[in-house]
Amino acid sequence: MDSIILLVDIQSFYASVEKAHDPTLQHLPVAVSGDPQRRSGIILAACPIAKSYGIQTTDTLWEAKKKCPELVVVRPRMQVYLDTSIQLTQILERFSDQVEPYSIDEQFIDIKGSEKLFGPPQTIAKKIQETIRNELRLHARIGMGPNKVLAKMACDNFAKKLENGIFWLTHHNMKQYLWPLPIERMFGVGRRMSRHLRQMGIRTIGELATFPVERLKKRWGIHGNVLWMTANGIDLSPVSRTTFYQQKSIGHHITLPRDYRTADEIRVVLLELSEEVCRRARTQHLMGQTIHVSCRGANFDIPTGFHRQSTLPYPTNQTMFAFQHAWDLFLRHWDEQPIRSLGIHLSKLVSDHKMQLHLFEQENKRMKIGYVMDEIKRRFGDTAILRAISLTPAGQALDRAKKIGGHYK
Amino acid sequence: MELSTAHSTAIRMKLNINKSALVDAVSQVSKAVSSKTTIPILTGIKVQADEEGLILTGSNSDITISVRVPKKVDDKEQVIVEKTGDIVLPGRIFGDIVRKLPGDKVEWTVNDRLQTIIRSEQAEFQLNGLDPEEYPRLPKLPREQVFTMPADLLKSVIRQTVFAVATNEARGVLTGVQWQLESGILTCVATDSHRLSRRQVKVEGSEDLVLKNVVIPGKSMNELAKTLADSSGYVDMIVADNQILIKNNHLEFYSRLLEGVYPDTNRVIPKSGETVLITSTKELLQSVERASLITREGRDNVIKWTINDGKVQVTSTAQDIGSVTEEVIAKVTGPDLSISFNARYMMEALRSIDSDSIRIQFTGVMTPFIIQPADREDSLHLIVPIRTR
Repeated sequence: MDSIILLVDIQSFYASVEKAHDPTLQHLPVAVSGDPQRRSGIILAACPIAKSYGIQTTDTLWEAKKKCPELVVVRPRMQVYLDTSIQLTQILERFSDQVEPYSIDEQFIDIKGSEKLFGPPQTIAKKIQETIRNELRLHARIGMGPNKVLAKMACDNFAKKLENGIFWLTHHNMKQYLWPLPIERMFGVGRRMSRHLRQMGIRTIGELATFPVERLKKRWGIHGNVLWMTANGIDLSPVSRTTFYQQKSIGHHITLPRDYRTADEIRVVLLELSEEVCRRARTQHLMGQTIHVSCRGANFDIPTGFHRQSTLPYPTNQTMFAFQHAWDLFLRHWDEQPIRSLGIHLSKLVSDHKMQLHLFEQENKRMKIGYVMDEIKRRFGDTAILRAISLTPAGQALDRAKKIGGHYK
Repeated sequence: MELSTAHSTAIRMKLNINKSALVDAVSQVSKAVSSKTTIPILTGIKVQADEEGLILTGSNSDITISVRVPKKVDDKEQVIVEKTGDIVLPGRIFGDIVRKLPGDKVEWTVNDRLQTIIRSEQAEFQLNGLDPEEYPRLPKLPREQVFTMPADLLKSVIRQTVFAVATNEARGVLTGVQWQLESGILTCVATDSHRLSRRQVKVEGSEDLVLKNVVIPGKSMNELAKTLADSSGYVDMIVADNQILIKNNHLEFYSRLLEGVYPDTNRVIPKSGETVLITSTKELLQSVERASLITREGRDNVIKWTINDGKVQVTSTAQDIGSVTEEVIAKVTGPDLSISFNARYMMEALRSIDSDSIRIQFTGVMTPFIIQPADREDSLHLIVPIRTR
């Protein structure tokens, strides 16, 4: 038989996890938000009760409080959410070995072959939903389809809006349900793409599906073809634990806790970011040959900032080497105005299994020192060894070691 | 119809010149004229007519080239100066005009309002010149540190070293070729820290002259080699604090020198090797070129040599593309060895070697190896291997 893929999505994930952990919050409007003092003060998740007041994700805390003064605000606990996400995967793995985490709160599962154990697809979906409710006290919405893209669209466009939270989109019923929807509702179509499509006279998913694919290919190449396939519910990518996803770059971007004004302060953070990025590269046995630096100005009224890249003389994952080029690049493009955020990326990645040695011995030693520092951190903790500059007031490494994705663990 | 505007004013400069001599001179100095510069007058070519003939000068922040067109070459008239004077003309357009002039003879007049008329057969160009007073003066270098060598030798020294310089501007002093002079021997070294090329030549000059840490930008060296392409005879090298001047009878080539201390390369060049290989330069080069066909697509361009039993086995593999294996017969002494390195470095070194056979000495799989012509000691290339796992 054909595959049947489910996309399992958790409603208001962070907020729901908090409510599940604290029953006293059950009937209150709850939102998860970062620390406004440290500029992460936006709504990361709001429970359905909070949403009924009009609160949306990415609202500032201040806006949210205005909409709902009795809002209960909880600080994010990223490690708890990650752990819950892993528990979710473990539940799904009882129903099939084909489980693919898609994001922290969305996972694909291919239930082909599981009917003999658990019953027809609809029944399996209900069982999954019940198990998640019983064990994690979370509400799952489940989109079903013959492939990942239809499962995703079934979930986003229908399951989320239904009381029972389950919807099955098939190649037979998609013309009836999916095609009349406006083009913006299709997976992979953003604001800009929808504008382009509307200018071509394509207003619904059905109109895109019946549009000559050659014209789409001519305009957008492969991406045009993918859009057309999506509209027709065609998706050949399998559910797999390790999606054949080739990492293109390694990077970190940090929003600073306050505006950084001087080169000396910015330099500290850029070096710390270089260390983090190179450490990740070393851990994955990669080296990069292009360095990217980006920053955003502190003044929101006049948006400033830049993203620049430069090619390194040879691929590297050596912190100081990457940093020196990143710093040169930054100084060349910085307008000397205060900055709010800073990022660094390493791309054009190659394996470190073939490493060009250097003529001058100190270079060869420098290549090794990063791996040694990484090993110390792995065994004794992220803060077991730090650069001295991280202890200066501008340093962020100690604080970042306590966080995941910019929020406290 | 009379084009009379320029005629009502005084003549600043006037001459007749042989077109092909002018074209040659302009194309020489154009190498130094850059289209983008922060000093606008440097987009121009400076022209000076004096009793000896004509001098053209082009300059950018790195190099300055000055070419003299003498009055006569082998009793053949090239320039007749009716009135000495000078002018700066916009470089690109002047060069294009000169190349496209219809006749063999060019008549050239500049008035005191800097308007220039260039006439050849039926064509007459009017160009607005720039004030030569604005043009930077050539530095007067003290003639204290001077040595001399044949132009052909200089060209081959450049060809055998300059390819090894670092190309990324951020590498500082390694983007240049280091010249050292002691006891009449000039040692030229270039390295990008992954490979190194060194050439030593005997030059003429004071035995007492010692030069250390003279580092000439690689780009200047390449331009110099092109500028000297047709030159024979001897050239003088005049070294000052931050400039070097290379000159012969009709050409002056100035380059800035790079600041910073060049690393001590003597320490890193091994004196000898355990495994020694002697083979045909051409056969080895061709085998590396073939192996590189596979790996250059895979970006890293790594090839592997396995050396034993009187042969070198050349192999390379690129994921998704394929692999290649072949053998080159060689005279091998010392222990067997297997080593990986960047094929491009090897090809560039082998192409610069003029001798038929070469000697390669290995010190280990993680340490540099030395490539030398089998019949001489004055030329050396060094390649640092790639560590593989």
